[in-house]
Amino acid sequence: MRRYNVFTIIGRGILYLLLTFASLLMAFPLFWMISTSFKTLEDANAPFIQWLPPQPQLTAYLQVLSDPHFLRAYFNSTFYAALALTGTLISIAAVAYAFSRVQWPGRNIVFFLMLSTMMIPAQALIVPQYVFFNKLGWIGTFNPIIIPGFFAGGAAMIFLLRQSMAQIPKELDESAFMDGANHLQIWWEIVLPLVKAPLATIATFLFVGYWNNLLGPLIYIQDSKLYTLPVYVAQLYNINNTIQPWPTIMASAVLTTVPLMIVFFFAQRYILESILVSGLKG
Amino acid sequence: MPDDPYLNTLLMSALAVIFIIITSLGLGALARFIAKLSGSSKLRQADAFTGYLFASPWIVGFIIFVLIPLFTSLYWSFTDYRIPNHPDWVGFENYAKLILGDSGFRASLVNTLFLTVIGLPLQVGVALLLAVLLNQKMRGERIFRMSFYLPVVLGFNAAVLLCWRLMLAAGNGIINQVIRALSAKSILFSYLNRAIIYVVEVVNAFFLGITNQNFTLFNKVLEAGFPAANRVPMWVQTPLWSKMSVVILIVWGCGTMMLIFLAGLNNIPKELHEAAEVDGAGGWARFWRISFPLITPYIFYNLIVGMIAALQIFEPIYVLYRDSATLAPSAFSMVYYLWMATFRFNEIGYGSAISWLILIIILIVTLFQFRAQNRWVNYELY
Repeated sequence: MRRYNVFTIIGRGILYLLLTFASLLMAFPLFWMISTSFKTLEDANAPFIQWLPPQPQLTAYLQVLSDPHFLRAYFNSTFYAALALTGTLISIAAVAYAFSRVQWPGRNIVFFLMLSTMMIPAQALIVPQYVFFNKLGWIGTFNPIIIPGFFAGGAAMIFLLRQSMAQIPKELDESAFMDGANHLQIWWEIVLPLVKAPLATIATFLFVGYWNNLLGPLIYIQDSKLYTLPVYVAQLYNINNTIQPWPTIMASAVLTTVPLMIVFFFAQRYILESILVSGLKG
Repeated sequence: MPDDPYLNTLLMSALAVIFIIITSLGLGALARFIAKLSGSSKLRQADAFTGYLFASPWIVGFIIFVLIPLFTSLYWSFTDYRIPNHPDWVGFENYAKLILGDSGFRASLVNTLFLTVIGLPLQVGVALLLAVLLNQKMRGERIFRMSFYLPVVLGFNAAVLLCWRLMLAAGNGIINQVIRALSAKSILFSYLNRAIIYVVEVVNAFFLGITNQNFTLFNKVLEAGFPAANRVPMWVQTPLWSKMSVVILIVWGCGTMMLIFLAGLNNIPKELHEAAEVDGAGGWARFWRISFPLITPYIFYNLIVGMIAALQIFEPIYVLYRDSATLAPSAFSMVYYLWMATFRFNEIGYGSAISWLILIIILIVTLFQFRAQNRWVNYELY
């Protein structure tokens, strides 16, 4: 069908040029972050362009990695993300099972209700939730940013998983029933292993969300010992400093980004596909 | 409760799990009992039990974290509740104050309007352009797609956003250094740069004029005329540019929109393009006559989602402007203002009123867009 003449070749060339230029622009902040983290303080604040560090050094990284506050923030973020992610993922898997593999009275109404909560932005509920957590005595602890997730937080994620679970043939459950398995076993041993890819996608979305969460920790965590990474790193920039310690700040930022990069690298194919399928917001 | 914060949270998590299991079993048993009363078969009773058993984490969570908060905050929005005082009924006072007398809230509304009118079309346009370029079916598509989506994963992390603060610095930030270098090299670029600066400053001065209900700045910018040759954008330095920096950030994060457009373009039947090509239609004509009308539902979806997201932008504002009392109001979103106004003095009543206004605005936008879509969105072939 396609005719290869001079014009199509030139057209392709221009296309590649445009796409490469656009990718470079999109990735530039990442490059700049890494480049700055290897610079000296003087080079980072230099009044002329220095694309690459003229005298690359690891000082900033050594400084950051020996800073107990940063390491503590790293531990806090890991603790928070790991606990919240586990609870959310398991409860979402349970709820998606109810919506896809079991026929129960009221299922359609509850499902519709769940979909309609997608319209309510979580931020519109932070004020009354704050009062509730205040009554429980949870202000200043990790509880308010972890425990709500245990209640299958995230309607979009439930929807995504339900769609995948609904595609598994019914006969699988039925033959397992014949063999005397109960729902708990079917859910954990038959259905969940078959939806590993969507589970990985959801886990990625949830992880990114928890790792990047800023508003929650800002509201609930007051003790600087409990700061998570985004809160801790954001306050490294201090407007009262005459010279910002950019290499240190950017080294912290790079180290904060590493888990995101790893997760994205392994899950990117599933993520992109699931967005294409469901039009989900990441 | 143990003093150690980590142990405390682990213990609370265990308690929460036990609570969820008990309520699940209880809800399941209740459902089975009701099914039994209404004379269902043994099998249907068992299904009712299982269904509610598995679904109850969401049901219980919905009641505790959505339903009750929604209605208690509706009540509090009519009171002067401030922790630890007792709430007293004040009627519509909070709402009246917000709409008539609160300059911060008005600023957040104007900022959202700016992002919707100026930022959103740019974001949707760039996303569409990238999607069309990517849709040409060539080698390396996945790598390009990845690099366009990466900012969505990274871009909401405060640590990464700090890098933008470094790049956008007006004096020796890399962006302005590049602009200076290019302006010195090419007279054409210099004029283009100054023209953009002029337009941005006029538009922003106008929006600031609406916020402050005072157009002196607008007149000053108009009088100053075309910017001098050595001018560069003052990104995170003045209120005239603070909103544009946020626009740059949301355009950078257009990856999700791009993927949605890509899905839309993939759904267009190949035969349409092939038939048009046979008839001699060029690429440009085929885009505007075939692709564009057929992806209007996706444009529409992205516009709604983007507008609702504009109300909620938080991380970029926090990272760029949290330490400036003059810049923050010139750029903050409604959710940022909600956070500021509520948690400085624990103003629960006032904050509840803001929350409800945000909810109402989102509801109106969604309904309005769904009604408007019938006019110009093409759902044929879908």
